[in-house]
Parts: sequence; structure tokens; C-alpha cells
Amino acid sequence: MLYLLGLALAVGFGVAIAALGGSLGQGRAVASAVEAIARQPEATGNIRTLLIIGLAFIESLTIYALVLAFLLLGKLPDPIGNINELVRYLGR
Amino acid sequence: MEHEQGTWFNFLYRPPFSMPEWVPPAIPLAILALLLIAFFSYFAMRPRRRIPTGPQNAMEGIVEWLNGLARQLLGDRGPHFVPFLGTFFLYIWVMNLMGLIPGFVSPTANLNVTLGLAIIVFLVVQYFGVRENGLLGYLRHFTGDIWWLVPLIFPIHVVGELTRPVTLAMRLFGNVMGGETVIMVLAGLSPILFAHRFGAGYVIGLPIPVALPMILLEIFTGTVQALVFTLLAAAYLAGVMEHQEATT
Repeated sequence: MLYLLGLALAVGFGVAIAALGGSLGQGRAVASAVEAIARQPEATGNIRTLLIIGLAFIESLTIYALVLAFLLLGKLPDPIGNINELVRYLGR
Repeated sequence: MEHEQGTWFNFLYRPPFSMPEWVPPAIPLAILALLLIAFFSYFAMRPRRRIPTGPQNAMEGIVEWLNGLARQLLGDRGPHFVPFLGTFFLYIWVMNLMGLIPGFVSPTANLNVTLGLAIIVFLVVQYFGVRENGLLGYLRHFTGDIWWLVPLIFPIHVVGELTRPVTLAMRLFGNVMGGETVIMVLAGLSPILFAHRFGAGYVIGLPIPVALPMILLEIFTGTVQALVFTLLAAAYLAGVMEHQEATT
């Protein structure tokens, strides 16, 4: 039961913590891109392309955590089907 | 995540075709994407005009853009690789966008499809690495520059090289699958959100398409991910092909 508790927490918190780090990184990327455009508006096209590509790379790290969460989600048992075991465990 | 997918291709699972159950709907859909690109390209060029108009103009624009990209990343050898990179971009782009049409599923939402594409990139990059530099020169890439650190650096580089197809596959799969899952959840949510109590029972209210912003975002993400896959394939190729400096 502890294993399932850990699994459920991991599925829930995994992507959340990965999104935390990812969003911080993306915020910094966008901030420096906007600053660069403010400094030199004629380079907007190049900077925009670089920004999109950089954001895709940072986002992919969060996506890895999402893929792991998908994998772990398949290993969680069905709580409604196992309600008898659940009630028995709680009543012990 | 083990639920039946309902697509226009469900008829293939029944007689007379009787496609076995273990074949995912991604396979006929991927073949459809291939045929779409092939037929569109063929019929776009049928009345081949000197001054391009219509579909021919669009295709020429795409090829010119791919040419510029390949030349920028691979130097003078760039245009030689345009069919390779261009196929990846167009194929992945069409496959990503296909999932947004009702009744279709993105083949790239299946890890097997993305892993297949990533393995092809991996094999082609290794082959070109050996062909350009010879076997010893190719192994030289993994050693780094400091000779007495080689026993440490060599395994690190090898593992890094082996994770490249894995990350390519997982990036594309995660983005497309995640987008599709969110669209699915939002689309399933809208009857619940807008149901209201009417007399004895509940009535479904206005079926507002709450999934629409996510579909628009998924169009953008699908395009960006196709571009990122192509750019990374080109960057890996440039990494093993020696010293063809970029022209920009």
C-alpha cells in the first residue's frame, strides 16, 4: 500500500516539479529575448526564431517528466474495482 | 491510457480486412499522411509553370526555405541533405496536424512512430560519420581532446550519443501525446461544465468548445516540434561532418 501511495504521489508531483523548473528557465529565455529585441529591433526575426527553438528545447525537459508520468499512470490500480481490499485495509 | 481509439480507420479491424488488434491505428494513418504528401506534391506540379502560382508556389516556397535552412546548418553540403531533412519536416508536420481533425489520431502520438523516426536519424548520422571520417576518425569524435582523460570521456560521449535518438523520440511523442490528451480531457469536460438542473434531471447546456484554444496551441506546437526535430537532425549531421562552416 505504501508502494501505491508513493507511486500516486510521484505521478502527481513529478510533472508539477518539472514544470516549476521548466517555467523558470523559459521565463529567463523570454526575458532576455525581449530585452535583445528592445535593444536592436531590426534583429526581431532572428531573435524570434531563436526564442521559439530555445523554448521548445526547455519545454522538452518538462515533457520527459510527463512521459514518465504517463508510464507510471498505467501502473496504478483501479481504486473502484479494488474497493473491497481498500475497505478491508482501512478497517484493520 | 489503454482505451480503444475510434478513427475513420476502425473499419479495417473488421472483416473483410480483419487487421489484427495489435496493429495501432497509427499505421494506416501514417500511410495516409505519406500518400497525402505524395499526391499533393505530384498534382501541385502537374501544370508546371515558369512563374509558379497556387500549390506549386507553396511547394517551391517550402523547398526554398528548407534549402536555406540546410545551407545555413550544413554549409555547402546542405542542399545534398534537403530531401532527407525535408521529408522529416513535412512528414512529421502532416502527422502532427492530422490529430486535430475529428476522427483522426496523430501517428506521432504513438511512441513507436517517433522512435522509428529517431532511429532512422541515428543510423543515418552514424553512417555519414563513418563515411566522412573513416572508422578511426569517427571514433576520434568520442574521445575529446585531452588524451589522459579518454577512459573517462569516451563512455560519457558514447552514452550521450545513444541518448540522442531517445530524446528526439520522447520530445516529439510527449509534446503530441500531451496536447492530444489535454484536448481529449477538455472536450470530455464541456458537457459536464455546462449541464444545469432542469426540473427532475440535468440538461446539457450550451456545448461550448472549450477545447478550441488547446487545438490552436496544438497547431503551433505541432509545427514547432516538426521544426525542432528537423533542426536537431541537421545539427547532429553537422556535428559528424567535419568543418563545413556555415555561410552565415
